[in-house]
Amino acid sequence: MLQTRPEPGAAQPYTFPKPQRLQVGGGSVIAIDVPGQSFAAIRLIQPAGGAAEPLDRMGVATLTGEVLEDGIHGNSSLAPALERHGAEWVSRVSWDAFVTGVDAPVNRITDATALFAEAVRTPALRADDVLRRREQLLERFWLDVSQPSTLASRAVGGQLFTGRYATPLNGGPVRLADVTPEIVAEFHASSIAGVAGTLVVVGDLSDVDLEALGRTVFGDATPTAPEPVTAPERAAGEFPRILLLNRPDSVQSAIFMAHHAPSRSAIDLPRAEGMSDVLGGMFTSRLNMKLREELGYTYGVGCRFDLRRDSGVFCISTQVEAPTTAHSITASLEEIDKLRTGGVTEGELSAVRESNTVGLPVTYSTARSLAYAMVEMVVHDLPEDHVDRLRAGFERVTAEDLRQAAVDYLHPDQLVAVVVGDAGQLEKPLRETGVGPVEVRDPETLWT
Amino acid sequence: MTTNGAAGQIGRFTLDNGLRLVTAPAATGQLAAVNLWYGVGSRHEVPGRTGFAHLFEHLMFQGSGNVKKSEHFDAVERLGGDINASTSTDRTNYFETVPEHALDLVLWLEADRLATLRDGMTQEVLDNQRDVVKNERRQRYDNVPYGTALERILRLGYPEGHPYHHATIGSMADLDAADLDYVLSFHKRHYGPDNLVLTVVSSLDPEDVHERVKRYFGGIPARETVAEAPDAALEGPIGGPVRDRVVETVPAPAVFLGFRVPAYGDRDFDVMLLASAVLGQGQGSRLYRRLVVERGLAVDDGGGSADLLPFRYTPSLMLVNMIAREGVSGDTLEEAILEEVVLMTEEGITEEELERARAVLERDHLQSVAHPSGLADTIGSCTMLFDEPELAYTWPQRWAEISADEVVAAAKRLLGQENRLTVRFDPEETPEATEAAGESASA
Repeated sequence: MLQTRPEPGAAQPYTFPKPQRLQVGGGSVIAIDVPGQSFAAIRLIQPAGGAAEPLDRMGVATLTGEVLEDGIHGNSSLAPALERHGAEWVSRVSWDAFVTGVDAPVNRITDATALFAEAVRTPALRADDVLRRREQLLERFWLDVSQPSTLASRAVGGQLFTGRYATPLNGGPVRLADVTPEIVAEFHASSIAGVAGTLVVVGDLSDVDLEALGRTVFGDATPTAPEPVTAPERAAGEFPRILLLNRPDSVQSAIFMAHHAPSRSAIDLPRAEGMSDVLGGMFTSRLNMKLREELGYTYGVGCRFDLRRDSGVFCISTQVEAPTTAHSITASLEEIDKLRTGGVTEGELSAVRESNTVGLPVTYSTARSLAYAMVEMVVHDLPEDHVDRLRAGFERVTAEDLRQAAVDYLHPDQLVAVVVGDAGQLEKPLRETGVGPVEVRDPETLWT
Repeated sequence: MTTNGAAGQIGRFTLDNGLRLVTAPAATGQLAAVNLWYGVGSRHEVPGRTGFAHLFEHLMFQGSGNVKKSEHFDAVERLGGDINASTSTDRTNYFETVPEHALDLVLWLEADRLATLRDGMTQEVLDNQRDVVKNERRQRYDNVPYGTALERILRLGYPEGHPYHHATIGSMADLDAADLDYVLSFHKRHYGPDNLVLTVVSSLDPEDVHERVKRYFGGIPARETVAEAPDAALEGPIGGPVRDRVVETVPAPAVFLGFRVPAYGDRDFDVMLLASAVLGQGQGSRLYRRLVVERGLAVDDGGGSADLLPFRYTPSLMLVNMIAREGVSGDTLEEAILEEVVLMTEEGITEEELERARAVLERDHLQSVAHPSGLADTIGSCTMLFDEPELAYTWPQRWAEISADEVVAAAKRLLGQENRLTVRFDPEETPEATEAAGESASA
């Protein structure tokens, strides 16, 4: 009755769209035309991420990103103005960049971009608004960390680094409280208002005047270079180790295992990402097959590299039924060990190669995903054929490359495991794993 | 093949076995978004079997007659594709986006599990996925603050025994009770080509897609017996006000209000969707302006405090949800939200507010159909629920014809206390929570 299983033919060759580039005043416009894509994505990238914040101003970038939504009239006036154009404000502060923008129907982007540009360049920055947004961010922090997985991921920075990365990106609940309206105004004046940056525009551009858009956004702003890159200091203490954050009566444990990794520019991405895919980057990865499909401990587990301009982190995250917590950690470490010693199978190698090459039309099928790729290129100084080079790198990668990547980039002896769960139930089994010392803490004592 | 002039490029086909195929063009090339809507959801479940439609969704990835466990995932991931599934009250949805050259393979994988799933099912697989789903339940419901809110809302909004009385995740006891015989019979009852809408969004010629779908699905027979869903008829308001008060470890008081509104697809559903957008969607909405910005009573939710749960076969629910700021009691927040609800019914809304609400809804709609996978899903929905795939393109027009007077009249009719349910969460160890452990407390 059924047909025999078809073998896919050859994939069509994919080339990442070549962007148009133009210089407008002090800034650069990079645009991708996607005929028929009626919703446009517009992003302004400025080199003012969290990593560059002085220790006494941690969180100022995030807070400023929030306050921009109060618009040029203050009092949360931007979003309603954009809403009337069917547009949506976008703001994302990362460790390396301050990214703002707007998603809008392509026939409304002139108006939407004008509103967006005003909000970025000349916001009201009223003290009342700053204080309201700050208090809201502080309360949001506590709400967010009441989710065990968020608490685990936010706690890990302090285990791996001293300095800026030891505190969460938004400054955390203590440091953020010290950021005043004056500090926000100074940060905006020095790093945002007059800094031209790079404008990314993606969508159906047949009727879009890119130069006019650039003029609207850049005005008389001037270019500025990113902060110099210096490697951050690492946290002291014995590795590997376990930090157990007590959350009484939890029926599940959130586990976040992490160690240092090279920076984005220092890592060989096809090898590293390919190895990470095999370990925990795909549904069919070893960790997911073991913890979910074989043991039934979890709804899902994954791993990834978080790569910044000056450093990196490799992490594994999952949530498991409480009694399986200790074994979930040791089973994960066993999978790392197997990958380091035994390398990958031919089947895993082909999965890595194929998924990172023939899948590119899927990866870049929306204006947003194309814009995101362009933002990454700008933030990390990547060439415009970066995606094509990456694809070529995956085509060349070998099984030996992936085994060696596991040796080069996985360091279980340097790992810290943050576990959020019921300490009464978990402390003893975690100590018995022999992974390393176990420190039990009240989550509220973490934030300084 | 028939096409709609406005949508322009939709292709519609029905196979001899009842399978409905819809095709549409993608905005970017070289890919195919494949989306399957099966007309089975948690509304088909009966007491003692809750959570089964969703558990079954997991089992659909565990192998079939010609596909090994996890091989379906493996095949799509190798293609760099996106793959997932979801279950709601009214349907179960499977979807993949893959490079275009792999369309045949995906169609074959989907056809194989439709035709031969029962050949590959084992007790071991069932036991494993039962554990996975129980962990999904822990992760989404039991181990997070406010996680049980939806279950509590549905219990208040629909009477015991009603097919919408429970959440799709089901209860731990019912998940434990699931047995292999029931798995096999569930597939036989609900999974037939006659209960399937298959949507393909790609750059391929619709006739070409039709030929391929016929090749892989054409030989699968329709179900011998069409399963009947339990009766979901429900008249009148909730019979409120009804409430559920929870005192447990949560970071702040939270208020959830629910109101029964007409079924998804009815004009009054659209009217109430506009009402919810005026009230709580976007930062220009009333609840955001008044309670977040001006009065500082609620946590900043970005303008997402009101929405509708769309149920096609029974009255839907309008939900309003906010979390209290530090130092603000649950009672104060609840009263403030209710004031805004009453204000809307008593003082009406402005034309400008309605315009903004329409723009917000239209933006959300356009954003979801701008993605090939989102377009395929929307087309599947419009076909399965309304037999009108073109609605995926024209849906925003429904809101253009609704007036402010209509919104206010419907709000007056439907947002009264006789139609209201309230679920309140309060942290332990606050004077108010202690006082309220039994029932009502004042601000």
